[in-house]
Amino acid sequence: MISISKLLCGLDAEGDGLRYDAAGESAKPQITDHKQRRPVVVWNLTKQCNLSCSHCYAAADTETADGELTTEEGKRVLDDLADYGVPVVLFSGGEPLVRDDLPELIEYADASGIRPVLSTNGTLITTEIARELREAGLKYAGISVDGLPERNDAFRGQDGAFDAAVRGIRACLDAGLKTGLRYTITERNAADLPAVVDLLHDEGVDRFCFYHLDYGGRGAGIVDADLSPEEKRAAVKQLCDLTRRYHDHGDEIETLLVGNYTDAAYLVEYARQHLSEANAERIDDYLRRNGGDPTGERVADIDYQGNVHLTQFWQNYSLGNVRDRPFSAIWDDDSNPLLEALRNREQRLSGRCADCQYQDICRGASRLRALSVHDDPFAPDPQCYLKEDEIVPTV
Amino acid sequence: MAEQSNWSRVGEQPRDAVDREWEVFIRNESRDPLQHVGSVSAPTIETARTQATTLFGRYATDLWLCPATDVRRYSRTTIDERAVSVDSEGERDERGHSA
Repeated sequence: MISISKLLCGLDAEGDGLRYDAAGESAKPQITDHKQRRPVVVWNLTKQCNLSCSHCYAAADTETADGELTTEEGKRVLDDLADYGVPVVLFSGGEPLVRDDLPELIEYADASGIRPVLSTNGTLITTEIARELREAGLKYAGISVDGLPERNDAFRGQDGAFDAAVRGIRACLDAGLKTGLRYTITERNAADLPAVVDLLHDEGVDRFCFYHLDYGGRGAGIVDADLSPEEKRAAVKQLCDLTRRYHDHGDEIETLLVGNYTDAAYLVEYARQHLSEANAERIDDYLRRNGGDPTGERVADIDYQGNVHLTQFWQNYSLGNVRDRPFSAIWDDDSNPLLEALRNREQRLSGRCADCQYQDICRGASRLRALSVHDDPFAPDPQCYLKEDEIVPTV
Repeated sequence: MAEQSNWSRVGEQPRDAVDREWEVFIRNESRDPLQHVGSVSAPTIETARTQATTLFGRYATDLWLCPATDVRRYSRTTIDERAVSVDSEGERDERGHSA
């Protein structure tokens, strides 16, 4: 996760301690110390969802899957995550709000010292539910909107989904819950991006997370709907420009990029071109502390049946199952050669990644996209949009 | 006599909501033990083999695949709420019937 607003505009935000090892520089509450070395864990609580989004990485369904972790099993998992020092659990799905025990699990995580956050389509959130979630200890709700109303509804497979999500956003904000947008950028909705930011900013949203499409779940079936690398570069530039414009007008929105660490290199290049060499060096330093693509290290996923994955998008390979072995033991098992190789990937990255000057802040970007397109987890990310002259090491 | 108490049979719940789940075992040297390295989700054994060799081919000279549903798992430490207790008379379900 890369913060445009932090790097280009100097915005101080709660996540900076995790993202840049910069807790000491911040006036906001930060996650510090050993917890920064443990992964953020996405927990797909359920496969069930009330919508049917065309890019769903979890291949969610209207039906519950057999074998979902129970409330008590979930609490034992949270015990292990807390003992291990996991800083954040992102409750996701499917749609996590279809599970009645969501507030109970949030409360348990919070009491265990884990920061509970939520990824939701927002359409099931009422004023009462928002209040209940906040009182349970929820720290943040990320609500997915993927375009202006007509396009969002087509994408999400349900008329009225956009309006329902906005109602959910209002309910969360009214309840005093920190709330942000989640937006997966594809060929179909890239043009809507500035208008959606403007529209939701008017609703009171000040945090916007933009996800690159990764090629897992139903996302793998819509690779053709992804932007070309050139279009992706243009979309990221548009977000950088938009963020600076807001900040120039005194609106300190937080904008973040997720799922393609090519963005890290691009932000350095952007700063060099539009700000100054000194700014570019400062940003490069932050991004070195961030550490590049987090697969197998700073992010992990537990699915509804307890399978542990390298990221939330990499669903068709599991490292193990928490019913067999605690998450902490699975994640610490360096005898798994793939896990070890991903964590020490520098010498294994091939093609244009091998000698790229930005390898240490990017680390090859998405290993899942490389695998999906090239059948090689150490091949270049097909969505690297850097120009050839940008990747050449400077002498 | 080998320890026979406190074992439970784990994981009667499915762990393959989309495709079949296949446990993956590899060995890189002929004197090495087989190592469990996780599982892949795939609709057929051919797809499972392709996925597993793509991920682990460079680390293995032997690669075994087994349908997850055909693996009996026994543990003394599981969190599985539906684990079936095993005693000297064999495995019993929640109603006490022999499994």
